[in-house]
Amino acid sequence: MLPRVTKALVKGLLYLVLFYALPMFLVRQVSGFAPQLFADYEQLVTLFAAVVIFFAVATELTSGTIYQHALNIGKALILIIFFVLALDGGIMKLDLNIMEGQRVGIVADLRVYLMMLVAIDLLGLAKSVLQTVKFLSDKTEKQMPQLQPQEDL
Amino acid sequence: MKQTVRALTWATSVFWIILLLFTVTVAYSALQIRPSFSEPSVSNSGDVLTASLPMILYNGGFYDISKFNITTLIKDHRGQTISCSSTFVPIINGGANTTITHTMSLSIEQAAIGNLSHLLFNDSELNVEAAVRLVYARAFPIEISLNLSMPWGAPFANLTVGNISTRPLNLTHVRVLLPLSFENHSFLEMNGTVRLEIADQSNHIVGNGSTGFMLSPENRFETVVEVLVSGDPSNIREAHFYFQTAFFDYGPLVIALV
Repeated sequence: MLPRVTKALVKGLLYLVLFYALPMFLVRQVSGFAPQLFADYEQLVTLFAAVVIFFAVATELTSGTIYQHALNIGKALILIIFFVLALDGGIMKLDLNIMEGQRVGIVADLRVYLMMLVAIDLLGLAKSVLQTVKFLSDKTEKQMPQLQPQEDL
Repeated sequence: MKQTVRALTWATSVFWIILLLFTVTVAYSALQIRPSFSEPSVSNSGDVLTASLPMILYNGGFYDISKFNITTLIKDHRGQTISCSSTFVPIINGGANTTITHTMSLSIEQAAIGNLSHLLFNDSELNVEAAVRLVYARAFPIEISLNLSMPWGAPFANLTVGNISTRPLNLTHVRVLLPLSFENHSFLEMNGTVRLEIADQSNHIVGNGSTGFMLSPENRFETVVEVLVSGDPSNIREAHFYFQTAFFDYGPLVIALV
């Protein structure tokens, strides 16, 4: 149990740097010259990091059990929903007030990008489902009585 | 099944890496786009007023900008379209500089004969809707739109016809003196002629006159037009004004006389 907790802790810290500290640093850097554009992204990065870190730690703690695979499936599904919501269904609209009474509207069609994200996530989901099936079949195989060679009469 | 799971693990990892690289390079490339604008110029040939906005677009990133389209739509305060212009550039390659000149044309004669004649006599606010559409990295269609309003100065603003006075000339004719004034609020030098006809109660033209004018921007024109009218001056009902300038001809503008 203790090595599993240590492993989960190390993985959690590594993911914290990779999925929170580094993206947050980049977002804050670009926010410097376009604060109106990137201000909302800090919240999204935090939410994404929270989801990824939670599932990384939880799957590590439950590794070797059916819960690990269930969490992997859950992670894939939650990430698909997260990407769809974060990208506003692929059509992102932004309204900027550049000067008094003059507004600039930006509409970015990111549906192709969203499709790529969802497709890769679906691939991950398929992998998780197969891993679950494999895990269950291995477990069933182990529980079956072992066949003994018959002695010659 | 083991091989399938392994293949899927590899495929997922490889696709995530490709997507991450694509995302980072697209974000970096987008930050390398540098538009710069030159001094806009306004010229007129005949009755067509042309405004040109030259710009240089430096696409310093790795990806192409395709289907680049600038559209400007100018409308009056009632929503009537005055001018609609579009500039299309099929492709701006990555690392290339492209000079784009967007021109907006406005035919004053067309404006005068259309439903926009109120712009000749009334100052107004024009709504400018500008939109830039492009496809970045052949995957991301983007639209940037800007709405702004700009003041419009009428070339015959505050057109006023004062009280007419009559002086008898002979038994059949009278001399009608008609005070006329207007201001040139436009940025154009307005030179031309105002011709006027006087109509009586039964809509017969009973007299006509004309006056020339030369008016630089932000100046006022005042004159008294003398018209020889036949018949009884108490029968005078209205004046029909016809404007002839280098840019357009407009008329009749009917004003009731008291």
